[in-house]
Amino acid sequence: MIAYPAMSAASPTQAHYRTTAERPGSFSQILVGWREVWSRRRLIRYLVQADMKKTGSDTLLGNIWWVMDPLLQMLVYVVFISIIRGTTTPDYPLFVFSAILPWKWFMTSTQEGIQSVVTRERLIKQLQFPKLVLPVASTASGLVSFMFGLIPLAGLLLLLYRDRLDPHLLLLPAVMAVQFVFTMAVGVFLSAVNTFYRDVGNVSRHALRLWFYLSPALYSLDEVRKSHPTIAAFENFNPFAVLFTSYRAIIYNGTMPDWGGLAAWLITSLVLVALATAFFKRLEPSFAKIL
Amino acid sequence: MLSVPSPKPLVASTDDATEYAIEVTGLGVRYSLRFTKKTTVRQTFQGLFQRREGPSHFWALRGVDVRLVHGESLAVIGPNGAGKSTLLQTLAGILQPSEGVVDVRGTVSSLLQLGAGFDQELTGRENILLAGAFMGMEHREMMDRLPGIMEFADIGDFMEAPIKTYSSGMRARLGFAIATAVDPDILLLDEVLATGDQVFRAKSMGRVMELVTSAKAIVLVTHDMNWVTQLCNRAILLEKGQIILEGDPEEVVALHQEHSEIARREKEAQMAARLAGTKRASR
Repeated sequence: MIAYPAMSAASPTQAHYRTTAERPGSFSQILVGWREVWSRRRLIRYLVQADMKKTGSDTLLGNIWWVMDPLLQMLVYVVFISIIRGTTTPDYPLFVFSAILPWKWFMTSTQEGIQSVVTRERLIKQLQFPKLVLPVASTASGLVSFMFGLIPLAGLLLLLYRDRLDPHLLLLPAVMAVQFVFTMAVGVFLSAVNTFYRDVGNVSRHALRLWFYLSPALYSLDEVRKSHPTIAAFENFNPFAVLFTSYRAIIYNGTMPDWGGLAAWLITSLVLVALATAFFKRLEPSFAKIL
Repeated sequence: MLSVPSPKPLVASTDDATEYAIEVTGLGVRYSLRFTKKTTVRQTFQGLFQRREGPSHFWALRGVDVRLVHGESLAVIGPNGAGKSTLLQTLAGILQPSEGVVDVRGTVSSLLQLGAGFDQELTGRENILLAGAFMGMEHREMMDRLPGIMEFADIGDFMEAPIKTYSSGMRARLGFAIATAVDPDILLLDEVLATGDQVFRAKSMGRVMELVTSAKAIVLVTHDMNWVTQLCNRAILLEKGQIILEGDPEEVVALHQEHSEIARREKEAQMAARLAGTKRASR
């Protein structure tokens, strides 16, 4: 029989616990939830790594797809838009690319976040761990692939649009931070709903597509304000109106992002994250029963 | 019905000063039948307009009391659907009680069915680290234990291969090695000892024995009555979410076998009656 090393004094696994039918209040649950996530940073890192490994392990080109994917998607939209209406926007490929890249992050993070809890069904029935790490890891792995997407962006800027290179590009992390918080709120909320109603996955696919077309990704916010006042009204409540415009400002125009809009959406997203966490923690005890 | 009102541990003397490793009082776990597997919105809307027949919930466990001191190993036996796994899940903190109190003092390892958390694309080594992170182990501690786990699981060169290439026996071995390597104070095992070949079974039994003797508490759910009598110093018989008998493993196993025999005969009689019925109908 092999000798196992002695248990170290400070083990993070709960050494004592008492469970009853009582449930703590929402506010303390939000704090508990985020403390749990923080204490499982490494687990989130492993989950992100596993996710990265999965996307690209079964394909011939492997990780090259992380770079190719957004480029090909951009190509499709550029061809599509040029054929059906023609565009006068200069450097249209870069114009579209600056919106496709962040959208791809939001879309994959949301879709994987929705499935993050239900796909770990077996583990949830076998082991007690903070389930909140699952949607958070999905958001984080979307962020990582977004950063890989910055490679083709850099390529485009250096090879084709060198005159658009601008120090404003360094403001990218500020815009990304707002998107990260918002994406996390959506992922946490929908992953909990999806354990009860599996329809969420189906609905989201179409809802996300509609959301993309209603957001100023293939056109600018000014264009839609001129031609479609009803859609323009919707843009006031659309975080991606602010996000796309801001990404485009720093990548394409070389100007300051919409600081006011970003600040408003940062505060809103933080509130949404708190609400989503409270909602998630309220439902968390029943996950093992329902899955 | 044979019920023992106050469980009396057979090994350790339990004065009031004794620290129980596990103390369960009046535990009840209720399942809602509204949200069963894969509900869709449509079904919920139907539920709003139509009265459902039958009860809206059922109790998987009710009024269960279990006390366990360190060094004891408790077997939980009973027919399928008696609530054995629910009890184990509650002890592991996976399920929360609908009523009653569960007190667990000590670190718990609860990979109830081995290898549940394995990620198919990751290698054996990566899966060990991932499992450790899921269990909330310190990274350094897990690295210290890595060689021990690899040696016990005995999967050789496959350590660097993705789990999807493993045989089921290799997966079970790796799962068992991880679950027991974390050196828990309380080990919860559910039907895991039946996996693997003869050599590994002997090895895993040895490891369980080692854990028992080093004053760890074990709760074991199994259908293998040999394990119950050989390994456990106490047993409880669960039927329909309630403890029918608690005490010496031999006695509890005897009653369980008696009950299953009765159930089997009833089934046979029913089958015979149905068979006779169909014969008559076809004539």
